[in-house]
Formats: sequence, structure tokens, C-alpha cells
Amino acid sequence: MNYEYKLYEPTWCPGCGNYMIRTALKMALEGLGIEPHEAVIVSGIGQAAKMPHYIKINGFNGLHGRAIPPAIGIKLSNKNLKVIVESGDGDSYGEGGNHFIHGIRRNIDIAHFVHNNQIYGLTKGQASPTTAMGHKTTLQYDGVKIEPIQPLALALTMGAGFVARGFSGDIQRLVSLMKEAINYKGYALVDILQPCVVWNKVNTFSWYRDRVYYLPDDYDYTNKKEAMEKALEFGDRIPIGILYKVEKETYGDKFDFIKKGLPLVDRELNPLDAEKLMNEFI
Amino acid sequence: MGEKLLMSGNEVIAEAAIRAGCRFYFGYPITPQTEIAHYLAKRMPEAGGTFLQAESEIAAINMVYGASAAGARAMTSSSSPGISLKQECISYLAGAELPAVIVNIVRCGPGLGGILPAQCDYFQAVKGGGHGDYKMVVLAPCSVQELYELTVEAFNIADRYRVTVMIMGDGILGQMMEIVEFRDEEEIFNADKSWALTGTGMKRENNFITSIYINPEVLEAHNRKLQQKYREIERNECRVEVYNCENADVIVAAFGTVARIVKNVIKQAEREGIKVGLIRPITLWPFPNEAFLKYAQVPRAFLTVELNAGQMLEDVKLALNGANKTYFYGRMGGMIPAQKEILDEIKKIMEK
Ligand SMILES: Cc1ncc(C[n+]2csc(CCOP(=O)(O)OP(=O)(O)O)c2C)c(N)n1
Ligand code: SF4
Ligand SMILES: [Mg+2]
Repeated sequence: MNYEYKLYEPTWCPGCGNYMIRTALKMALEGLGIEPHEAVIVSGIGQAAKMPHYIKINGFNGLHGRAIPPAIGIKLSNKNLKVIVESGDGDSYGEGGNHFIHGIRRNIDIAHFVHNNQIYGLTKGQASPTTAMGHKTTLQYDGVKIEPIQPLALALTMGAGFVARGFSGDIQRLVSLMKEAINYKGYALVDILQPCVVWNKVNTFSWYRDRVYYLPDDYDYTNKKEAMEKALEFGDRIPIGILYKVEKETYGDKFDFIKKGLPLVDRELNPLDAEKLMNEFI
Repeated sequence: MGEKLLMSGNEVIAEAAIRAGCRFYFGYPITPQTEIAHYLAKRMPEAGGTFLQAESEIAAINMVYGASAAGARAMTSSSSPGISLKQECISYLAGAELPAVIVNIVRCGPGLGGILPAQCDYFQAVKGGGHGDYKMVVLAPCSVQELYELTVEAFNIADRYRVTVMIMGDGILGQMMEIVEFRDEEEIFNADKSWALTGTGMKRENNFITSIYINPEVLEAHNRKLQQKYREIERNECRVEVYNCENADVIVAAFGTVARIVKNVIKQAEREGIKVGLIRPITLWPFPNEAFLKYAQVPRAFLTVELNAGQMLEDVKLALNGANKTYFYGRMGGMIPAQKEILDEIKKIMEK
């Protein structure tokens, strides 16, 4: 069935990379034939996290930094839903850093799209965990003094089975990355380079365009060592594509009561179900 | 008095902290208080202090915990959702008896709510948002000048009693620009901090900061000591403004920005022949019970006006203890009552 996703008027600035990410998301969902009732977008707080407000789909807009735990809750209660997390770099790697790490360890079947503009957009230009050293911001007048997070390398170290980088400036490739991530069975991270035209005057559209390159067709994305090297490449050249992809058992598949039968929310429970448990005590 | 400047409330909090000898600020951006961080990012290095943007509000307050344990004057600031995240550590600060200053430029909740002015965090601040039997001094200024004076005072109170002091404002107060007159020099309470983790220089036993007391007898004794301290604060630190209350027909109880609106209502009411008084708690805890008791029999009734569903109202009722009628008028969600709305409520009471 062909469904066209309805979009709502956003409050993003003209020229913001978020528009392209939304277009890509719409195309990916439509391309996969996923209807709005079959998927849910979960977000935290920030410009990126406004996504569920701007596209007609099941939406969950939760706490700043805490999109991953509710996404886990949603997926475990209804395994039939495609769960997609859309949030910013500050949200996902800063305030939510802890959830990011432990979410990866758990390997729940969700796709995590991080709109990485290397800045706090919504709160007007403070450094985020991915802002480069020396980058002067509205708050770090003298330049950022600490090393940025390398999210892809971190994800690999934590054991993520799907690690990718996209660029909002290339919608076609972003769509195919998103599709792969959504179809991947397990936690899939796509860190998407997204220019913030207002608060990040360093990592602009052309800054990214001049640096990104596509992983060659013969790139072996099952090679973790090579993936790690690519994950750490963020400077004069930035690789785009699937850096790492292997099959891994998901959390839900480790438990028969989740894996087999209907999603938990659809199961009919009645008091007699407790009888078996009660008998254990008799 | 010294220098007069036109500044926003948030900037004044930041400047006052520096003048009060605070050299450690740990924050995390959130509207409508981020200007505090922006000001201190510039001023702290000039003053020889540390400004640090943490990875979260929880990290920020725990850095304050550490700086305070080391004997320094430290501050963090945030707005409602961020303040909720700090509650766990506020409880620990109380348990460990460490001084700290926390600014809450309240926005409207619950949840993410909105960024507009509200007073809906009253209960959280005054009744203890964290776990355990503890109290936090809560200061509620209503002008930029008062923000300055109370911020300096906050550090003194915190050091004197080894407690957390919260400065509670809202977006109006934080963003509004007013003239502020700074003193040439601040009176800074010189606390004995022999408990601090300063290093022993091999001259004394090492200090140890903790809030763990596994032995119930010891923990009860510790709690009794805390309670004694809170009673002492109630005796010494209560602040209130009583305005126009003699022979008042109706006395309004309001704090912070709402009290400013009420003052205009008082003028308007006077023109219409109604005498309205105002009791404005400046410390929300300790609550100025005595001011309410003193005027309990004077008006026909009390009217509490707040930017919430009726929170301070409960303390007004407790203070009056049934001695007079109490009514309530509140707006929520960032809506601000117009003078006329409040005056109409007063007139309704007059007709009852
Ligand atoms: C607990 C809490 N702290 C702080 C905020 C304020 N806040 C909202 S979004 C945000 C960061 C936004 O940065 P990012 O996640 O990179 O998203 P962007 O706006 O850049 O897309 C912050 C600090 C909040 N809403 N809640
Ligand atoms: S502030 Fe930046 S991230 Fe936010 S909408 Fe504008 S351009 Fe986009
Ligand atoms: Mg960002």
C-alpha cells in the first residue's frame, strides 16, 4: 500500500539541515511502505527533537536527553512498531550520554537518528559534546577546551551492530541509510551531519560538503577494526555510509515471552493466568 | 551605595554571585535563565573563578557538591525541568550539611510545559523536592535590585547554617532590565569551614563529608541536629514585606512578580474606595507565619494570588489556622493575571 506522509509547518529556520532530514525520513518511510500507525518517532528535547511534531505519525516527545529509555519501553511493549528515535547531538550524547551507552549494550530493535549539528541549537549556540576543540560559541567565548565525543567510535566500543554516518546535504544517500537502519534488527545508529545555519558558523553546509566522501563499494562493513578507523576520521575528510554492520541477537529475542506470540500490549491477560504461578507455591 | 547600572535580572544574579565571593559556577543551558551562564562565562575568568558548562544538570549540581565540600562558595542555576533533576543532590547537600546556592528561574510545567513565567515550583522548593526530612531556604525577590541583594544574602545564609539556599524567580524577573545599585563592598559572612576538604597539612585529622549514617541512633541524632538548625533558621531568617495592611478590607498574599502587580492593584482599589493590603513573603521558607497572624483579624478575608493552582495558599491557610477566610486566584501555563482580574476578585470578596 502506498501512503504519503503528511507534513506540518515547522518552526525551524530557513536553510536548516533539519528540513532535509525530515524529507529523507518521509521518503524512507514511504519507500519502505511503513504506514504512520506502524511506526513511532520518539524524541527528546531540542530542534531535532521537534521532528514528531512536524510529520504525521505516532509521536512521542519526552524529556531532554531521555529519548532512548522510552523508546525501549515502547519497543518491548509493542514489538510490531517500528521505533525511530530522532534527537540532537546534545540530547543524545550529552544529557543522554548514559542512556546512549546503556541503550547500545541492550541492543533493542530501534533506529537512532542523531541530527548532529555540533551545537546546542534550541538554546542558542552553546557547545555540544560534538563541538570541536577551539570552536568559539555563544557561551565558550574563548573556544571549547575539551575533546569532542566521537559518537561512532563510542558506539562501536559499546558493541553496536549498526553504525553509520549520513549527511543532510545528500538526501538520496540519507534515505537509503535510513532504510537500512530501520530494517536492521537491533540498535542502529545513524549520526547525521546537519548544518545549523544560525548558531554554528564553523560547521556549515559547505564545510561538510567539502569534507564528506562516500565509503567505496568494496568497503567491508563487517570489519570492526576498519570501522573504528573510519569512525575516528573526522576532520579534513569525513566518511559517509555504513561503517559497521553485523547481525546480533536483540534483547527482545533473548526472552521467549517477548519473542513468541503477540506483542505484550495485545495479549489478553486474565486472573487465571496467575494460577500456574500460584501453584508453584502450593 | 555605589555604581548604578541597567541590567537584566539574570545578569544581576550572576554579578551578585561574583560580588558575594562565589568563584565556582556550574551550569547547563535552559531557557529562561541561560543568561546567567553567558554572563559568568565572561566574568568568572576575569574574577579568577571557574565557569563550567556541564553535560547535564545532575553533573552541574554534583560539581557544586564537590566545590562546596572543598570549602568554596559555589552556585548552579537552572529552570524547572533542570531543577527537578537536581533534587537528589539537594537532598544529599542537606544530609552532608554543605552550603550551596541554587537559582531556579521557574517556567511553567508540568513536564516540559512552556518557558513563560510561573510559580508552580513552590511546593517543590518549600516542601522538599528531594527525599528525606530537610529544608532549603527559599528566597523570592520581586525586583532586580532585590535579586542582587538576596543573591548576596543567599551565600551568607548558606555559609552561616551550612544549608542550601534557593533563589526563586521567573522569566519576567530574569529577563527584565531595571536599574540596580551595587554596594561598593559586600558584607561577607566569614564562615568557619574547618569541616572542608582542604587537605590536612599533616596538622589535623582528615575531614570526611558524607550523608550516610547506617546506625539508626546516629542517624536520628543527625536528623534532630538538622531540625534544630532549621528551627534556628525559622527564628532568624524570616523575611517579609507588609504593605498597606492596617485597616485593610482585604489582604492579598503574593510573592515575586505577582506582588508587583498587586501593588498596582492596591492603587487602583484605593481610587475605588477599597483598602487592600499586601503580605509578600520574601522567604518562602521559612514562611512568615507571624505577619499573617498579626493581621489575621484585620481584613474581611485574605486572597492569595499566584501563578499556579494554589500552592503558597496552603501555607497561608496554615499560618492563619482558621482565623479568617482565605480565597485564591491563580493563573497557569504562563498566563499573567491582569490588574483588573485581581481587582474583580477583591470586589467579589467585598460583596460576600
Ligand atoms: C532537563 C533539561 N535541560 C535543559 C533543557 C534545555 N534544552 C532544550 S534543548 C537543549 C539542547 C539542544 O541541543 P541538541 O540536543 O544538540 O539539539 P538541537 O537543538 O541542536 O537540535 C537544551 C539544553 C531542557 N529542555 N531540559
Ligand atoms: S537554530 Fe539551527 S538547528 Fe535550530 S532550526 Fe535554526 S538552523 Fe536549525
Ligand atoms: Mg545540536
